[in-house]
Amino acid sequence: MTQDLTLAAIIIGILHSGIRLATPYLYASIGEMFAQRSGVLNLGVDGIMLMGAFFGFYSVYQTGNVWVGVLAALVVGALMGLLMSVVSITLQAEQGISGIGLYMFGLGLSSLLFKTVLGTVEGVQGFSEIKFQITPTISLYDIPILGPIFFNHSVLTYGAFLLVPLAVFVLDKTTWGLKIKAAGQNPEAADSLGVNVTVVRYVAVTLGAALAGLAGASLSISLLNIFQENMTNGMGFIAVALVYFGSWRPYGVLAGALLFSTVNALQLWAQVLNLPIPSDVAVMLPYLLTIIALAMPFRRAAQPAALTRPFTRGEN
Amino acid sequence: MRRRFLLLSLILAISLLVAACGGGAATEAPVQEAPTKAAPVATEAPQAEPTKAEESAPATMPEGEKFRVAVVLPSTVSDLAWSQALYDSLKRIQADMGGEDKMEIAYTENMWNVTDAAAAIRDYADNGYNLVIAHGTQYGTSLFEIAPDFPDTSFAWGTAVDTGKEKGIDNVFAYEARAEEGGFVLGVLAAQLSKSGVLGVVGPVEAGDAKLYIDGFAAGAKYAKPDIKVNISYTGSFGDTALAAEAANTHISAGADVLTGSAQQVVGAIGVAKEKGVIWMGTQSDQSSLAPDIVAASQIYYWDGPFKDMIQKHMSGVMGGESYALSLANGGLKIHYADWVDKDAVAVAEQVKEKIIKGELNVMDILSGKAAPTMEEGMQEGVQGEATFEYPPEIQPVRIALVLPSTISDLAWSQSLYDSVKDLQDHYGADVVDIAYTENMWNVTDAASAIRDYADAGYDIVIAHGAQYGTSLFEIAPDYPDTSFAWGTATDTGEKEGVTNVFAYEPRADQGGYVLGVIAAHLTKSGIVGVVGPVDAGDAKLHVDGFLAGVHATKPDVQVNISFTGSFGDTALAAEAANTHISAGADVLTGSAQQVVGAIGVCKEKGVPWLGIQADQGVVAPDVVMATDIYDWRPTILSMIQYRSEGVLGGKVLQLTLANGGQRMVYHDKLPAEIVQAAKAAEQGIVDGSIEIVFEPR
Repeated sequence: MTQDLTLAAIIIGILHSGIRLATPYLYASIGEMFAQRSGVLNLGVDGIMLMGAFFGFYSVYQTGNVWVGVLAALVVGALMGLLMSVVSITLQAEQGISGIGLYMFGLGLSSLLFKTVLGTVEGVQGFSEIKFQITPTISLYDIPILGPIFFNHSVLTYGAFLLVPLAVFVLDKTTWGLKIKAAGQNPEAADSLGVNVTVVRYVAVTLGAALAGLAGASLSISLLNIFQENMTNGMGFIAVALVYFGSWRPYGVLAGALLFSTVNALQLWAQVLNLPIPSDVAVMLPYLLTIIALAMPFRRAAQPAALTRPFTRGEN
Repeated sequence: MRRRFLLLSLILAISLLVAACGGGAATEAPVQEAPTKAAPVATEAPQAEPTKAEESAPATMPEGEKFRVAVVLPSTVSDLAWSQALYDSLKRIQADMGGEDKMEIAYTENMWNVTDAAAAIRDYADNGYNLVIAHGTQYGTSLFEIAPDFPDTSFAWGTAVDTGKEKGIDNVFAYEARAEEGGFVLGVLAAQLSKSGVLGVVGPVEAGDAKLYIDGFAAGAKYAKPDIKVNISYTGSFGDTALAAEAANTHISAGADVLTGSAQQVVGAIGVAKEKGVIWMGTQSDQSSLAPDIVAASQIYYWDGPFKDMIQKHMSGVMGGESYALSLANGGLKIHYADWVDKDAVAVAEQVKEKIIKGELNVMDILSGKAAPTMEEGMQEGVQGEATFEYPPEIQPVRIALVLPSTISDLAWSQSLYDSVKDLQDHYGADVVDIAYTENMWNVTDAASAIRDYADAGYDIVIAHGAQYGTSLFEIAPDYPDTSFAWGTATDTGEKEGVTNVFAYEPRADQGGYVLGVIAAHLTKSGIVGVVGPVDAGDAKLHVDGFLAGVHATKPDVQVNISFTGSFGDTALAAEAANTHISAGADVLTGSAQQVVGAIGVCKEKGVPWLGIQADQGVVAPDVVMATDIYDWRPTILSMIQYRSEGVLGGKVLQLTLANGGQRMVYHDKLPAEIVQAAKAAEQGIVDGSIEIVFEPR
């Protein structure tokens, strides 16, 4: 069946969807990248996202102010990150296991809070799209093709993309970035040079978790404007995979997130356009691509050498 | 090793925290501030008690002695509101008991300072008063500190439901007023008396009975006239009369011609109303004395019942522990109408009042969105839904366990089942229908152990609510020959494998889907409709097939774009799918599974009609959800129970159809009447067999 849709409209649709869908992945993955670069594998991202999603949503629900929601999500995310830090850095628990514990904690607590204070799915007025009005009649949105793709998103989506060069800057141009990388690559050497590995890891994990909280809020107060139990549906785990996919580099993570979400948008369009692909194959596409990319042998090289390895001063 | 222990204890601490949050929140939710702050008392109370308990046990009132009541009030006994309502009630009780010789009333007014109030409470108790009433939520913390020191004295406080039982305190009563009930009735009356269509509310602080009253009032007004405007302002104070007057002036400038409000501040507002000739609705005390010509009606608190009972209990040696609520049904709330009010309007208000008293109308349900918010809708739902379903008079006691793939509030598959089982429990009582459930069982292995656990624990019917659980079920079922198992969407009861105690169930979603398709075909202007499916299987597949058939039977040239997200719970992807459909020109959408809340959110934003299935999704976006095909599991569950009572433990395939009431169509307000007609005709056709649903190849 043919459509009145032009190819341009379809491409705009796919890219616009892809960019929007990448938002939560970007926040979560960049945050997780910081944690992993410092040597801590935080598998609790999904749970932190749920907590951020709930507190972000509930704050907006109560105050009507979206920025209060953003703040609440960041704070709750950071608190979850502190919890993870205490367990995995100070107490040196097995990181893979404690991350899963944190995930279940976030999943359970966000559901419990939802049931206790909301009880049913409600909606809020979240962030709205910004079209970059230059004069009252002209906006960046009016640029043919590019406008509708790039200039019709919410603040949180733009923020997610701005976060990428910012992360590059922090990692490569600041002392802190250097310390984070040192803590993840060779903590003993870093320690001998006067870097407090414990503090660095605490900061990296907490910062990363705050971003994960924001990732959740980007779902609940920007993309969807609702809260539902377990609404992340495993996004946090995809976000962890995207860090591996992106070889622990911000631009790599960006490429991964965009690829994943654009292919997702593409497969949705493929179904809508009645292309002769079974839906099961279509929904498999993004994951298939991720697996293929992960399997590329050269990627392993960039993994922080001390990832998942606890650090104790004076040992070795 | 030590580290492991630390981690373990941390996890334990967290889980305890979560458990504590759960228990505490559930039972104490309606109480404002007292429980947390008063917590330290809990440790002292049990020690203080045993020593004095012996003396207090036979502390019945000696004959002929005076019963002494003391009240600590936040305002004055003539505030025409909160404090006066109580004082008037105590006066009436005093008269009943035989005057001042039999009952003494002492009171302290204007106790806005909580520390002063605490001192007053302690003084009264010291002086041997039998019942000391702290008439305000703000006094709770102090009360729970003082009460254990005076085990022979009864204390009471409100608005509250917490008697401190959990802290080991047994001499505190709590009381509250279901102010939303009377508020609702006054709202109905106000909506009819208003000519401008604008009502004004002068509230004090958004809490306690003031909030309940105002919420009820607004809901009542909308119930009677959905398009009425209710402007609400809070002054932030109970006693700021000047500000209340200013608020009233503002409301009148904004077009309001009927006002209401609560707390002692309202005398200021009533003054303004009188001056401007605007109608007033009162609450708490009878406020007509102030301005008989403009006060049309008042909701009056009659505390007589609860306090008589407290006195009675005290005399018989029970010092506290009871929680009371004033309601229309128990006569604690009464509505007084002025003579001059239009008789027809009063008659409608009285009708609504009777409905509340009989329990046919639950104001709380309307406030929480569970019941229809307007009169017409309320009647409609009654005709289409509840009326057609009849509960058998009696069923065997049954214990039902549910293993669910998502949550009981997913607005879809799991919720529809849980809601139905809960309805059965609400109807027959918790002692007849016992429910247990496990949510989020996306892992089939976990689900299998849950199923086995429930069977081990002696549940009669264990329902594994997903096609994915079938394999495990057929392995487990033979080990528990006395237990009935059920699963779906499925048609296989395992008979071939020799399994005899498994029911299979299947919602014929193609039927409801067909009706939704008919609606979609009528609604679409672009000629394109979109389907946001989860996985092309089970009832989701049936829904899509039926929908397609319904659309094309009505308008063969309408294009149906179908997409599957590949997941039941991927809300974000479902939202994106909805966006995609809309970009591709669709102007009516449908879809299934818990993921659809994402899609509905998009529809709401873009103003695109949505057709729901499984559970009622109208709550998320009442403006765009046009119709829902609700799965009603009650007939299915009841037939399982029936089969069990006949000794048949399984082996039957149960279908949910439009004919047997397993599916129920709900049409929402926004749907044009002629489309509702067409949809009902389709329903009828499916039920009587004149419509045959033919699946198209996809």
